[in-house]
Amino acid sequence: MKRSEPMSESYYYILLCLARGANHGYGIMQMTEKLSGGDVTIGSGTMYGATSNMMKKGWIREILSDEPGQERRRLYQLTDEGRAALRAEIVRLQRMLANAGEV
Amino acid sequence: MAKNRKTSWRSYFAWDYEKETEDLNLASEQGWQLVKAGLFHSRFEKNPNVRYRYQLDFREVKGMGRYIETFREQGWEYVNSTWNNWHYFRKPWDPALPEEAYEIFTDRESLEEMRGRLAKLLLIVGFGALAAVITESIECIQQPNLPNLLRILFFLLESCCLLRGAWILKYPRPRQHWRGSVAAFLVLLMLGFLGSQWLHAMRPGLHCSTQAESISAPAAEVQWTDFDIKYPDNYFLDLDVTSNQPIIFTIQNEAGESVYTQSGTSFREEDLLLHLPTGHYTIYLHCEAGYQIDCSLN
Repeated sequence: MKRSEPMSESYYYILLCLARGANHGYGIMQMTEKLSGGDVTIGSGTMYGATSNMMKKGWIREILSDEPGQERRRLYQLTDEGRAALRAEIVRLQRMLANAGEV
Repeated sequence: MAKNRKTSWRSYFAWDYEKETEDLNLASEQGWQLVKAGLFHSRFEKNPNVRYRYQLDFREVKGMGRYIETFREQGWEYVNSTWNNWHYFRKPWDPALPEEAYEIFTDRESLEEMRGRLAKLLLIVGFGALAAVITESIECIQQPNLPNLLRILFFLLESCCLLRGAWILKYPRPRQHWRGSVAAFLVLLMLGFLGSQWLHAMRPGLHCSTQAESISAPAAEVQWTDFDIKYPDNYFLDLDVTSNQPIIFTIQNEAGESVYTQSGTSFREEDLLLHLPTGHYTIYLHCEAGYQIDCSLN
């Protein structure tokens, strides 16, 4: 299997947030800040570029919210490919961490 | 009444977009708020009661809806876009927020992507200009002349400027600037282009043919045609002469000295280089029989 490139922090956190359910850009941004303890922020330019690229890769797709009061709000949803890419990245990160334990 | 609107003719090179952002923020602090950004001029409105932070993004956006929404979610107001894919956003300034809160590119990768898109565009146009330098140079080596030389110079200027811009975007170093003026650059390019067109138009551009079945008077010298040389340069003569009897073809300057002469019953020249000083020239034919001549001088 072809070795996948390490993901950027932004890509990783966006996928991580979406693994918990479909969300909009702002929700992803807030959840990322919370998860990383304020360490990782995702600005609008980065967010748009990352979501566009990941849609092109087929990792996420755009859906419209059907929640009352939120109708027609744009949401991003993780695809199976996206979930697989996230898993592969987590395995890579876990291996790197495990290797650090041997030091 | 104080002016409430103004138009600014300041423009910036693509690689100076950070400087443009700084200037917009400064103008906002002074009460001038950008309302419409353009490539060569921008419109501002006076409103001292607000202060904005501006950001620029460069990309080709397929669906503006999702794009603007992604920015609006984080408090960015969309100002407008220029036709060449620059997008302007602003956010009210809050003194409590740190500077980082106004960044739109929050990781190295996305910032490099954006600068890379700009650099790619500059490289394409820059190498296009470089290709023009090469073809013009080859032409100029074969037929050295002034309009050609001028075109080489202005394509060279253009390609150097653009390739340097691409280099700055790819390998940013803090505080390494001679910032160029876009206006000066465009004026130079314009002058180069118009100058070479003008020099080209000043050339004689002579194209003529003549033929005669026979000559009534024996051994007549005929003044065939004349032309002016407006500036000293290399000019190129094409000539195709056929005749039943020997013919003498002469180009004379004002002083009556011949700058070119050829004789025979049949002769040709192709792009023959003649270095001609400014002045009035006359072409004479000396012949004793019918002839056919095609002549051009560029």
